[in-house]
Amino acid sequence: MGRIKKDRLIQMAPHFCGFKPQGLQCKTGEDVIINFEEYEAINLCDYELLTQAEAAKLMKISRPTFTRIYESVRRKIAKAFVEGSCIQFEGGNVAIADWFKCNECKITFTLPENTTKHCPFCKTQVTIINN
Amino acid sequence: MTFAIATTDNNLKALVDPHFGKCNWFFLYDTETNQSSFIENSASQNQENAGCDAAGILLDKNISMAIAGRFGSKVVDVFRKNNIQMVIPETQQTISEIINQIK
Repeated sequence: MGRIKKDRLIQMAPHFCGFKPQGLQCKTGEDVIINFEEYEAINLCDYELLTQAEAAKLMKISRPTFTRIYESVRRKIAKAFVEGSCIQFEGGNVAIADWFKCNECKITFTLPENTTKHCPFCKTQVTIINN
Repeated sequence: MTFAIATTDNNLKALVDPHFGKCNWFFLYDTETNQSSFIENSASQNQENAGCDAAGILLDKNISMAIAGRFGSKVVDVFRKNNIQMVIPETQQTISEIINQIK
């Protein structure tokens, strides 16, 4: 039996589901599935311009593991680009850092330590945790 | 309690900026004294660490809540360490709308 994968810590899940190629009449090939840890890897490395070591520390994984995830997402993106297939964000072994949501005010927020779980705007109790 | 909003322009009809570090202005508001002010974000043109520098400016002003469309991972780290609340509105809102919500 294989070893169980450690949870990777991500700051936030993407707020949309994926990408679709333009101008294709019929669907070609299979959808490419990018999981959340891979999304976070490309976000940290190429959008926020962190080094791989820094990014690995943020996701609480080792540097080689991070490099492996990053490699894999680059290949997946290249595959989707060249073959013109859709990209979907889905699944993965992830833990999302503590963010809370208030459906009344339509906001996402963090809670400072030693405070009660209340929405900062409408002051009602928060029920939905981690997106 | 003082809170800071990252905004695109320096008037009350300005929208919340989609990215914390790269915004042009910060709007500071004190809920107890009702005092407000705009400060320019001198770090907005930085290639690297714009968010952290901007966070440093705001930490000097003793804020307890920051509002922006998106926070970079380094900024999230800094704010969590300093126990500052971060808020992300899901819809596009102007400064005055947010002030009304908090009151």
